[in-house]
Parts: sequence; C-alpha cells; structure tokens
Amino acid sequence: MTKAKKYWKGLAELNNDPIVEKLRQNEFVEEIPVDEFLGDKELSTTSTSRRDFLKFLGFSTAAATLAACETPINKAIPYVIKPEEITPGVANYYATTMYDGHDYASVLVKTREGRPIKIDANKSATNARIQASVLSLYDSSRLKNPMKGGVDTDWSTTDAEIIVKLNEIKSGGGKIAILSSTIISPSTTQLIADFSAAYGNVTHVQMDAVSYSGMLDANEASFGVRVLPTYHFDKAEVIVSFGADFLGNWLNADYAKQYVTARNPNSGKMAKHYQVESALSLTGSNADDRIQIKPSEQAGLLSNLYSALNGGTADSRIAKMANDLANNAGKSIVVCNSNDAEVQTLVNAINNTLGNYENTLSLSNPSYLRQGNDTEVSALIEEMNAGKIAALITYNVNPSYTLLDADGYNAGLKKVGLTIATSLYNDESAAKMMYACPDNHYLESWGDANPSNGVYTLMQPTISPLFKGRQFQESLMVWVGKSDYHTYLQNTYSSIDWNKSVHDGYFTQNQSAATVSSFTASVPSFDVVKADGIEFEMYEKISMGDGTQANNPWLQELPDPLSRACWDNYLTMSAATARDLGITNWNVSNGALNGNMVNITVNGTTLNNVPVMIQPGQAVGTIAMAVGYGRTAAGKCGDGIGFNAFALGNGTATIEVVGGEYEFAATQLHHTMMGREIVKETTLADFIKDPYSGNHQVTYATHNGKQPADKVTLWDKFDHSTGHFWNMSIDLTSCIGCSACVISCHAENNVPVVGKEEVRKSRDMHWIRIDRYFSSDMTKELSEAEKVSAIDMYAEMEEPSANPETVFQPVMCQHCSNAPCETVCPVAATSHGNEGQNHMAYNRCVGTRYCANNCPYKVRRFNWFQYSDNDKFDFNMNDDHGKMVLNPDVVVRSRGVMEKCSMCIQKIQEVKLDAKKAGKKVRDEDAQTACSSACPTNAIVFGDVNDDTHKIQALKKEERAYKLLEHLNTDPSVFYQTKIRNKA
Amino acid sequence: MHKEAEIRDPLILGNKTYHDISKDIAKPVEGKANKYWWILFSLSLVLFIWGVLCIAYTIGTGIGAWGLNKTVGWAWDITNFVWWIGIGHAGTLISAVLLLFRQKWRMSINRSAEAMTIFAVVQAALFPLIHMGRPWLAYYVFPIPNQFGSLWMNFNSPLIWDVFAISTYFSVSVVFWYIGLIPDFAMIRDRMSATISPMKKKLYSLLSFGWSGKAKHWQRFEEVSLVLAGLATPLVFSVHSIVSMDFATSIVPGWHTTIFPPYFVLGALFSGFAMVETLLIIMRKVVSLESYITIKHIEYMNVIIILTGSLVGTAYMTELFMSWYSGVEFEQYAFLNRATGPYWWAYAIMMTCNVLTPQLYWIKSIRTSFVATFVISIFINIGMWFERFVIIVTSLHRDYLPSAWTMFSPTFIDIGIFLGTIGFFFTLFLLYSRTFPVIAQAELKSILKSSGSEYKNKK
Repeated sequence: MTKAKKYWKGLAELNNDPIVEKLRQNEFVEEIPVDEFLGDKELSTTSTSRRDFLKFLGFSTAAATLAACETPINKAIPYVIKPEEITPGVANYYATTMYDGHDYASVLVKTREGRPIKIDANKSATNARIQASVLSLYDSSRLKNPMKGGVDTDWSTTDAEIIVKLNEIKSGGGKIAILSSTIISPSTTQLIADFSAAYGNVTHVQMDAVSYSGMLDANEASFGVRVLPTYHFDKAEVIVSFGADFLGNWLNADYAKQYVTARNPNSGKMAKHYQVESALSLTGSNADDRIQIKPSEQAGLLSNLYSALNGGTADSRIAKMANDLANNAGKSIVVCNSNDAEVQTLVNAINNTLGNYENTLSLSNPSYLRQGNDTEVSALIEEMNAGKIAALITYNVNPSYTLLDADGYNAGLKKVGLTIATSLYNDESAAKMMYACPDNHYLESWGDANPSNGVYTLMQPTISPLFKGRQFQESLMVWVGKSDYHTYLQNTYSSIDWNKSVHDGYFTQNQSAATVSSFTASVPSFDVVKADGIEFEMYEKISMGDGTQANNPWLQELPDPLSRACWDNYLTMSAATARDLGITNWNVSNGALNGNMVNITVNGTTLNNVPVMIQPGQAVGTIAMAVGYGRTAAGKCGDGIGFNAFALGNGTATIEVVGGEYEFAATQLHHTMMGREIVKETTLADFIKDPYSGNHQVTYATHNGKQPADKVTLWDKFDHSTGHFWNMSIDLTSCIGCSACVISCHAENNVPVVGKEEVRKSRDMHWIRIDRYFSSDMTKELSEAEKVSAIDMYAEMEEPSANPETVFQPVMCQHCSNAPCETVCPVAATSHGNEGQNHMAYNRCVGTRYCANNCPYKVRRFNWFQYSDNDKFDFNMNDDHGKMVLNPDVVVRSRGVMEKCSMCIQKIQEVKLDAKKAGKKVRDEDAQTACSSACPTNAIVFGDVNDDTHKIQALKKEERAYKLLEHLNTDPSVFYQTKIRNKA
Repeated sequence: MHKEAEIRDPLILGNKTYHDISKDIAKPVEGKANKYWWILFSLSLVLFIWGVLCIAYTIGTGIGAWGLNKTVGWAWDITNFVWWIGIGHAGTLISAVLLLFRQKWRMSINRSAEAMTIFAVVQAALFPLIHMGRPWLAYYVFPIPNQFGSLWMNFNSPLIWDVFAISTYFSVSVVFWYIGLIPDFAMIRDRMSATISPMKKKLYSLLSFGWSGKAKHWQRFEEVSLVLAGLATPLVFSVHSIVSMDFATSIVPGWHTTIFPPYFVLGALFSGFAMVETLLIIMRKVVSLESYITIKHIEYMNVIIILTGSLVGTAYMTELFMSWYSGVEFEQYAFLNRATGPYWWAYAIMMTCNVLTPQLYWIKSIRTSFVATFVISIFINIGMWFERFVIIVTSLHRDYLPSAWTMFSPTFIDIGIFLGTIGFFFTLFLLYSRTFPVIAQAELKSILKSSGSEYKNKK
C-alpha cells in the first residue's frame, strides 16, 4: 500500500489550526444574506439593492424560460407481461356482432394493442352508424358507474338493494315489467324467461324507437305470424316502395347490396325502381321514377294499385307502375313505410296478388330484427299510470325521448315503485329512474343474435370494459342469484363448435319458424284523397338514425347525403311551399347557409324556432324532419343539437313563420352540375344500344385532327408499366350515397372533427366526400332552343328542379399522374409515388395552400387550427378516451399542414410487407382502402391494374369508365363508371 | 452641359440657387418635424402595432383566424402581396428605365419612388411568410444545404421563382437606391456641425462612404448608376411577370392565362405611379418641397397612368374576349361569374377605378390639378387592390366542381393585417422623410441651369 502524499494549503493546516477546520465546514466564506432578501423584514430596511433585485429577477426569468424549453414527455409504457396474442404494431381482428337496439350487423373488429379501432363488414354490410359505433365505445359521456337517484354508487350496494326490493315485490305479488328494444339474442330471451320464473309476475314488452308495429300486426292478421319477412331485392325486376327508405334506414343494412345486384347495367338488365314518397329519401334519390305524393295519399294510391292489379283502373300517376308490376308477377316487391296495420295489409295483399311471397320476400324465413309492439307499449304505460306496475326495468331503450306519448310514460314512471335503467348513457330516460345501471358497449360484451331464421351471429368482447359497466344479461343473472353469462351463453349453444363459431362470428343452425297460413285478411279499401294543409312526416337520417349515437361527433359531422347539412335537423320543405309561406334560404357573405324559422305544431305538440331547409324533391304541401336530434342528455357533443321530431309524430302541421334567422352548417352549398359533364349519365336503353353512350371522350382540335387530352400534352408520361399501379373504380350506378365510406375513412385515417362553426366556414376535413347533384330544369340544350342568354341560363341552372334526378359522386384525392398539386408545391411536400399515388409528406409541408388552390377536384384539406388537444375543438381528439380510437399507423396532423386521401397507403404498405415476409405475391383482395372495404354495394373497387387477375383491369377498360375532368389531362388513378338510369 | 428646349416648362420653381437646393433638401433632416408629420406618424404607428398584434394572433392560433376555406385557399393575403409588390414597380421604372431614357424630370421624384419600392417590397415579402401554415419552417423554401437527404425545394413551383425574383429585386433596389444616396448623404454630412450633433455627423459620415466629390468619384458614380439601371430594368418586367406566373401556371380558370405577365407588369406600373402620386402629393406639403415636385412632374406621371391604365383596360377586354373565344365552358363561366356572379360588385369597382377614372386624365385641367390627381390616385390604388382580389377570389370560389363552390369573407384579422402593412409602410416612409435626403439633390443640381425657372426665364 502506497502512502498518499499529502499537501498542505498552508502552515495553518499543518499546525492543525482550529480556523482551518472551521473554514472547511463553511462552504461559503462570506455569509450569504438569505435573511436579507427572504426574511420578513420591512422592505425599506432590507439591504438588498436594486441591482441585486434585478439579478434575482433576471435569474428567475432565465430559469423559468429554460425550464419551459423542456420538450414534453410522452410516456410509452411497455408491457410488463405481454399478452400472448398481442404484438405491438400488429393488428388483431375479431369477429363480433353489432347491435344497439336499432342497427344490426355482423362485423369484423380491428384491434391494435388491445384497442378496437375499426369496424369492417363480416357477414353483413355496414352503414355509417355501424362504422362509427367504434367511437361510441370511447365516449367519455357514457354512464361510468351505477347510479342511484343521480348519485354514483357501486354495484354491490345496487345489487343488494335491487334484489331486496325485487323480492319484496315478489312476495307482495307485484308486477315487474321489462321494457326493452327488440331482443334478437336467443340467450337473452332465455334469461328474461329465467328472470320471470324467479320473480313470477313479469311482463316483457319490446319497443322500437322507429316502430314497425303496424307491419308486424298486418302480417299477423294476414298470415297469422307476427314477424317481418326477409326481402330479396336481388330477385326483383320491379321494385316499388311507398316511402320505405330501404337503401338508407329501413329495417336492414343489407338491402343496398341486393338492390345493386338487381341493377347491373352490364348484365343488360336493371330492376325498375319506383319510389312514391313525400320527403326525398336516399332510396327515392336512387329511384328511376319518383312520384311525389302527400302522406295522406299513400293509402288511397295503394288501394288503387291493388284494385288496378285486380282489373280496376289505375290512377294516372301509378298506371305505368301497375302495368310493370302486373307484367312481373312473382318478380317484384312492393314495400311501404307505413306504421298503419291496414295500409300494410294492403301491401301484403298486393304482394300476395303478385305472387311475390316466397319469391322475392319470405315469411317462412322471417326476419327478427323488429319485434316492437305499440299496443303492448301503450298498455304498459296505462298500467304504469294506474299504479299496477311495481317495478320497471328498461334495457336499450330511451322511451322518455323516443315515445310520442313520452309525457304519459314519464307520469307513469313516478307511480312505479322500483325503476331500473340498464343503459349505456344516463340518458333522458335513465336520469328519471331510481337506478341507472351502466350497460356494456357491444365491443365489451358477450352475446348472440338471431337476425333472421336459421342465422346466428356471436358477439365477443374486444376490450375490457372501459368503465364500471356490466352488461344487461350479467345483471339479470345477478338479480336472480346467478352469474357468468359467458358460460350461460356457451351452454345455450351446446351443439356447435364454439371456438370456430366465435372465430367466424356466425354459424347457421336449423330453426323452426312459425307456420305461415295463407293470406286471409280482408283487404281494406281507401279512396285517393289529398288532404288539405301541410302534412308532416318524420324520417331518419343515415347519420343519426334514432339518435342512439347522438353523442358521436363523426356522425354529427357526417353531412346528410341529400341536404349536405350536418350538426342539425330541420324542417325540409319544397321551394314552392316555402315561397307560399314567405320562407327562404340564403347564403351569407362567406357562403354559409342561413334560413328562416317557424313554429310548428303537430298532434298538439309545438316546437318553436325550427329552421326550414328548402329541399328539392320534397312534395309540395309536405314537410319532414329527421328524428334522433333534440337530445338533452346524450352527452357534451350531442346535447342541444336540433329538435326532437319524435315528440311531434306524423300528422297535419300548423306552421307559423317567426322572425330571426338560423345558421346551418352545410358541406355543399351549390346543388347542380351547371351543365358540366361531371357525373356522366345515360339510360339503360341507350347504354344497350351504345356502351359508350353518355361517355364520349373529350377531344381537342389539333393539326393532326381531333385528339384526346392525353395526346395533346407537354407532360412526360409516368411509367407505370411495372410494379404496382393502384387504381380505383367508382361505379356511379352502384353508389347509393349511403356515406359508410366517409365514416370508414374517418376511422382509418384519423380525420378530425371540426364542429359546426368551422363547417359553416367551409372547412370540413373530410378526405372523401359524396357530392350530390340535382338536375335542373334549365339545360344547355333548352337554352339553345329557347335562345336564353348565357347569364340567364347559368342563373337558372343554379336552381334544382322541384322533383329532381339525383346523382351521388364520391370524390377523394384522384391521385393524378399529372398532378397539378405536385408542380406548384414550393417545398416538394407533395410528390408522385411510383405506385401511382400522390403522396403527402406532412413534416415537409409549410402550408402555402397553393396545392389546394390548384386542385381541380378540391379534395385537399388544410389544418386551419390545431384540431387535437385543443379545447376549442372539444371532440374525440381532445379527450383521453376518444383518442384511443386513433389509428396508430396514421399520424395525427398538426396545424398548418395540408392533408388529403392517401389511398390508405398504410394499409397497402402493410399488405405488401406481409406478402414480402411470406414470400408471396400481394393478393389483391387483401389490398383494400377504407372506403372500398366499407362500401356495401361494391361501388368502390380498389386494386392493382398491373395485376392481370384483378377485376380493376377490366373495369378500367370498360366502356363506362371515365376520368373526372378528363379534358384537363390530370390523368387520375381514380376513375368513374357512367351512371345508368332505367328510364325511358 | 445639358441643353433643353425653351418651351419646356421649368422643373425647378422658385429661382433656386445651388445652395437653396442643399438647404431645402437638408431641412427636413436638420430641422424639427412639423405637426402634420407627428399626426401621420402616430396614426401609422398605431396601425402598424395593430397589424403586428393581428399577425401574432394568426401565428399563435392558425391560419383559421382568417376567412379562408377549403375552396378559397388564398384571398387577402396574396391580394395584399401582389398589390404591394405591384406598387413597388413604379419606383424602379422611374429610377432605372427613365434614367436610361435620360428623362430629367425623374430627378425630383426618383429617390422617394425608390424608397416607396423598397418599403412596399418589405410589406409584400411579409405575406408569403405569414400566409404559410407553418411560417417557422419558411427556410424550407430556400436552397439551403440540408441533412434531409439533400432535399431541395421544388424548382418547378412558381412560388420558388417568387422567392428568387423578390429577393433579387429587393437587393438590387436597395443597392441602386443606396448608391444614389451617397453624394446626398455626403452633402448632409458636410452641413452637419461636429460640435452640435457629433453622433449624427458620424452616422452620415459612415453612410456617405468617404465621398469627397472628386471627379473620379463622380465618374464611378455615373458608371455604377448606369450599370445598376441596366440591371434593374429587366427586373421591372421580370418580377411581376413571375408573380403573375403564380396564377398563370396554375390550372384554375381565370388564372390560367398567357396574357398575365404583360398584364401584371402594366397593372403594377399603373398602380405604382398612382401610389407615387399619392405619396408625393402628401410629401411635398409635409416637408415643403413644392418647388421641386411641381405640377409638371405630376402631369408627366398622369400621362403614364393614362397609357398604362388604357393598356390594363385592354387586357381586361382581351381576357373577356379570350374566354369567350376559347369555347371552354369553365373559362367562359369564370369570367361570366366575375362580372355577374356574387362578386360582381368587386368587378364593378375594379372596372370603374382602373378603366374609367384614369381616362379623366385626357382632360388637361384634371391632369394638372393636385387635388384631382390625389383623388384619382386613391381610386386607382383601390381599384388595383380589387383587381387582385377579383383575380384571386372570384376564380377560386367557383372553379371546376360546383360541389366545392363557396364564398369568402374576411375576418377582422384579415383586415387588421392589411391595415397593419399600410401602417408599417407609412411608418417607414415617414421616418425616411425625416432622415434621408428625399430628393436626389446632387443630380437635381445638374439640371438647375437648364431646367430651373430662373434660368429658363433669363433666356
């Protein structure tokens, strides 16, 4: 061991002078005047100089500045124990069933890191609401805890109290009522039976927010079975709908696909579609022939049609239709939206006369999607008011909001001793009840469904319950002293391969249906009369449905396909009626739409200051308003939007014009094509004669004669002959405007919601929009024939016809080969991909917006503000729960950058990498975009045109194929197929 | 020595001597500001500060603070940009082109016209910067060597051409202006007392670059002026041509027009001369230069305004004719919509102010009236602002697909920023008028013997 040398700092240290030790203890040689400036001494006596004060100030400012410079830390917490099935970055898919009491679908759920983020179709088609339901899962406004009298409590207390009270009722012989939506789950029906067995006097009443009771009653009267038929629109050659919006909201989301199958122009045959209605519905807008009537005329016209089919004379308006039906007996369908059993009996009689039963519609193979019974609901309300109900348990219903007789129900509720709501939300009804028990979202639940005879689909949880919810079935079991619904469910289907069925999401099994007797009912007869006065009718919007998902910002911001307005409901009115009443719509200086307001009274209920939207296609003398709005307890995003049309009910309206103006938020402010060839269309007859009909190429006169645009160009042709070349075909004949693609795109690409005020400023962020154009009475041909000046012609062209022909055109980034956006971007933030896409590099974008100006399709969307984590945009991206729906594969854009459709490049990239790993070729059916996979009618087809096996190659060569604004020679990768109408 | 016809009106009034000129020009710099100056300056400063606040708000929250939308991606921002850059053009024309053409009347006005150019370009350059969604990344538009995998800007983009055009224009204008200022700074330096205002003296000494008035200095000065005039002349035409290509190279109906480069250059000169008149008519009063900026100068400029105004009117008509003659319905609709659509009033203002009002200058009494000229110059300034608004907004708001058609309405931030640049411009100009020799006195003295009123009268 070496001895360390020691050096002294001075003699004092060597001598061990005590001062050395004292100084060593003292870090600062001079005393620090801490007391001076931190002490409580009077300011005037302190010796802290002004100079010191400034030093402290400077130091503090500098320190605070430095501290503020730190970048915020986002914590990514790795799994301590990684679940076996989860690999971060790799999606898992689960088959399940979506059912919320209104919409039903068999779906495939994409989960990432244990979070469901996207809904796709499995065995049945999806609509916008089904696509959007994944966001409703992450709704922070959901009921999070059991509540008693509006105060949070816990499950053990709630259960204990409920069981005690139920037993008291049982021993007292009181009657317990269960009021639910239509139950399509056989195991739940079984559980309700178990519950009835345990508590004796139990009655189960089903109700549908939008009732089909009349139809069910008519079927019972006509055929002895209280069920709805299954329809096969694909087998029909003539489709007649009296107001039934079967492509939009009527009954089942699957009909669109059948409809399009029946109307394939390439097969040379298209089912002829007549729509007889007052308000323009999505279905009516697709009809070949649309007849406008007042709702009061419906019964008379049906009666007239029935007699015409039996040899009578038809009303001139429906003579052609009657003739077509008679010629297509057994190959036609007549449907009707009426909730009047007598009218529906007439419809049954017509279908029966035509021999359509068991051909195009089937009662022996019934649908169970709607089983609500209005009579039973009224009886229940009566009993409640008479004090005969001791306990009421509701499930999946919101009667205080959806019932016409909500007042009667609410009054009755006060006379019921025990009221329990099982609900996702503390909604209008649950808030009035003693106990509000949080239900689980379908993505958190086990379950089963039996939508139609012999078809079963299963529901499985894809995430642990986010809140302290418990599904209704589990609660029922707890209240009869049992538990474990999962096992119970499995035991319900003991004969099937459970794991396989859960994996597939469905199974089929023989099911005995009630025997259908032959048509026996006496056919009622009505005269064709047109009632005076303005008639009001409720309708459903494809975005809002019955209002169950009113707190879903995606759906609130989804523009109605016909009015193109969002964040609202309103009275739709024809231009002529509006003129009579002195009502107008007008555009304010920034283009936004404003309208007049009215007070409307129907069936004794008055709604004040309801805005009026002038809607082409609305029959004169009729008005309509969408249900699902006017919620008061939906949550922060759905409350106070619009008016509750359920409260009015159908009937004759009294209208009083009031002052003031209403501000709409519409994403499209101009409604006609102004004589331009944007949507090319032709008739079936012309198309058969000339497949190029309506789609003649634009040419330019050159020294070499007439040449198409791509021959008169300065551009170097992009070489897409090798590798992938992704293209998209959009068939305008098949596109029905349902908007499922729009929501699918939102979910896949983290498209922000901007709110009503911003939509009003024309700043919606939708990457895909469905342009809707109405025909106008003025055309170029007419103006030439009548020598109308160009100025007058264009002015008149802006006005849509009173009963217009409608076209829908989905428009997203067209991924031009000669992209106008690419040449003008100063920083090359948008550039061309070698697979045909037009890329957008967000980090490079400086936000000059030149690209958007130069885009002829106007598909580019600018981030005017920071849309995430911003209290001014308090939607799902400003909410810790709502953010869980974000797709981690797609960046959330910051403010100041341009964004647009990427053709779901993240999905293509994933498919390519998977194929590469597997050492195989990319299978084209795997490469799908969000919009193409969501399209219920396969109108949108996506694929690689360089792949000889893919149908996109043939589609591109089709005679109907055309590119939007072809004359500009932007050479898009997206092309459209001419719209064909089956009209004379 | 320069000879001039006797019948030409004198360009310097009031029987000035060389010393008088030095005194008059140096007076605003040496003396105290009058009441009018302070009023104008305070007003300008307030507007400027207001504009700065509006810009700060925009950068703080987002471009959404403006009235733009998905269809109309540019409106007041680029309108203001083109308007300001256009205003600058008269300055360069006066100092460079008129120098090459040996137009002596330019000498009393070229200094201020050039100052106006530079200050206007400063305002103009602000807009491309602040109209960006992410202005803090504006350096992406410069060809700076980088580590992004040698990522360059897109040389195809007219916005990049703008970057080069404007920066070149600005630097050449500043150098040209400064060279001209050197002998005048020297004059002020020489008049300053080192004891009374030593700092000022030092400053002007620095600015005058050691100018001593040697013959060699004069010779070099003349040569450099000529070379720079030669350099600046093409810029008069190139800058606004390139700015016009922001529109002309696009495919928006109403923008995609081959006539744009000459049309924009003429419009720029037209508006530039109007702005020079607005400024000089104010300035000759505020800093007492009535003897040097005479009605003759104004009349010469008014003649140029009749010419450029008529040419601009011809361009408007040509555009209308071409849209009809093209047979393209999108093109036809764009122009029909301009004149009769929802923005007809903007088109009407543009037509009235730019085509009709300058025609009044055919009448001699109007052409030779300060008041009438001032009023008409304001009209032209407004009209030319609307011209850019009409081109930008009415073309964008209704282009190809009617589904995307909408309108534009400015917010108070839009308006605030525009007023702010006007404030900034006048703040700079007023400061300039108190610190710089506002007339190129060294040059002016060269024509005193030929164009001064005393000498004219002697003959």
